[in-house]
Amino acid sequence: MSSEAQEHTKQTVTVPVTGNAAPSKTRRRRRLGSVVARVALVLLFGIGFFLSAFPMGRATLRTVLLLPTLLMASEPAPLTLLDEPVRRTQMTISSASGPVYVDVYAPTTAAPPIPGTRGGLIMIPGIGDNRNVPQLVNLSLAFAHEGLVVMNMTTTTLAHYSLSAQDSDGVVQVFRVLAHWPGVSAHRIGLVGFSGGGPIICFAAADPRIRDQVAFVALFGSYFNATSLLRAVGRRALTVDGRTQVWQPNPFPIQVLANVISETLPPAEGSRLQSAFTPGGKPLTAQDLARFSPGTVAAYHLLAGDEPDQVDANLAALPSQAHTLLDELSVNRVIDQIRVPIYLLHDRSDTSVPFTESRDFAAALMRIHHPYDFAEFGIFQHVEVRADLGIGQVLSDSPRLFRILSEILLPSS
Amino acid sequence: MLILSLFWLLLGVLIGALANAARLWPASSSWGHRGWLVMLAVGALAGLLGGWLGALLLGKYVATAVALWVAALGVVVMPWLVAWVRTRFRAGDSAHGS
Repeated sequence: MSSEAQEHTKQTVTVPVTGNAAPSKTRRRRRLGSVVARVALVLLFGIGFFLSAFPMGRATLRTVLLLPTLLMASEPAPLTLLDEPVRRTQMTISSASGPVYVDVYAPTTAAPPIPGTRGGLIMIPGIGDNRNVPQLVNLSLAFAHEGLVVMNMTTTTLAHYSLSAQDSDGVVQVFRVLAHWPGVSAHRIGLVGFSGGGPIICFAAADPRIRDQVAFVALFGSYFNATSLLRAVGRRALTVDGRTQVWQPNPFPIQVLANVISETLPPAEGSRLQSAFTPGGKPLTAQDLARFSPGTVAAYHLLAGDEPDQVDANLAALPSQAHTLLDELSVNRVIDQIRVPIYLLHDRSDTSVPFTESRDFAAALMRIHHPYDFAEFGIFQHVEVRADLGIGQVLSDSPRLFRILSEILLPSS
Repeated sequence: MLILSLFWLLLGVLIGALANAARLWPASSSWGHRGWLVMLAVGALAGLLGGWLGALLLGKYVATAVALWVAALGVVVMPWLVAWVRTRFRAGDSAHGS
């Protein structure tokens, strides 16, 4: 009986308590759910507003949509829904150093009312005529689909695997054409140089005719000082953080350097030096070297990398015209004349141009308090995205690439 | 643009669902028992409107971001606006009645 009473008491006491607890718990849960949903709404509003109303937000959004296209080396299918229709045309522009061959990627629609004008990019895709390289075409289309007008240019000198500082006039002429392109604002045009195209871009950015209009300069896998590049080639080694590390350059930059230096050598020796470093060319023999001038011999040893301990002596033995030309082709002579931010990107294991060149460039910019950003990557092979990318590598490099791309896209957003 | 419009509609519906979870429809249940459905419709319409507005003013790349904030704004403002209008009309009616 007492246990029954106890049971009854328990029931009468406990039932109302549990009966109250359940609704209050549900009510609390609902209230929490409502608060979470409200916070989510506020966040979504804030994110959407930031990404559309502010230039920085629009640049961020464009970068988010550009990054997959860049990393996958082709545009993911869902993003094609957002594409502006683009037309690719070709043109030839006259310049003081000869004809400039330009590929234009331009949206066919009018510029949207906000910001009212389009941005533009002038790109030199390295030495040689690389305008049809699939990754460059993909990148140019991606920029154009986002509303930028892209002009990829090359010159006769570049197409013949050589370099000339006078080609910067070609960039100035292309800049003038792009500045007058329908819908494009002259103050939203950036200059981008890949590999050996970088110095030409810098010389143009320092040119008084356009230097106050250029929006930014971006250099990818470019060199800073032609002499230090030649020194690295001769040593087959780099000095990184005070330590020497082996560096094996690929044959292409050696061929280009041979073409450049040969212009300063006696004609017969210069052409023999050139042919020694063209693909499939015959190396110089001891008899050849015995007949050649000390300057040509020094140049050969530097390029062949067979006297790594004599690099400084060989550099000193180069003809004075070679030193003048190397100085003329070095970016360090103009950095104090460039007035816009400079963005530097470099593959850490670059075998064409050592990444230490961009490090030296960044250090020089820091010394003169010039606005710049610098990032080293592992996902590229010189200036192209590697085919065998690991997810870890992509994840570690993406934030740096994102940062620089959004900086590049900011002026046109 | 058709697929994009459908996407903006769907985005608006999701925002509307979030507004339902946030209990943003008028407390007086003036929207009836189907208030949650009205909220989804408001979200969808605001999303679509925002998307088209964004595409026309800023271009297709930014349009989805505009759809997002316009839909979020729509589901917050619409119930408040409806409640405000009803209160104002009621006040007007009672003033005329007296």
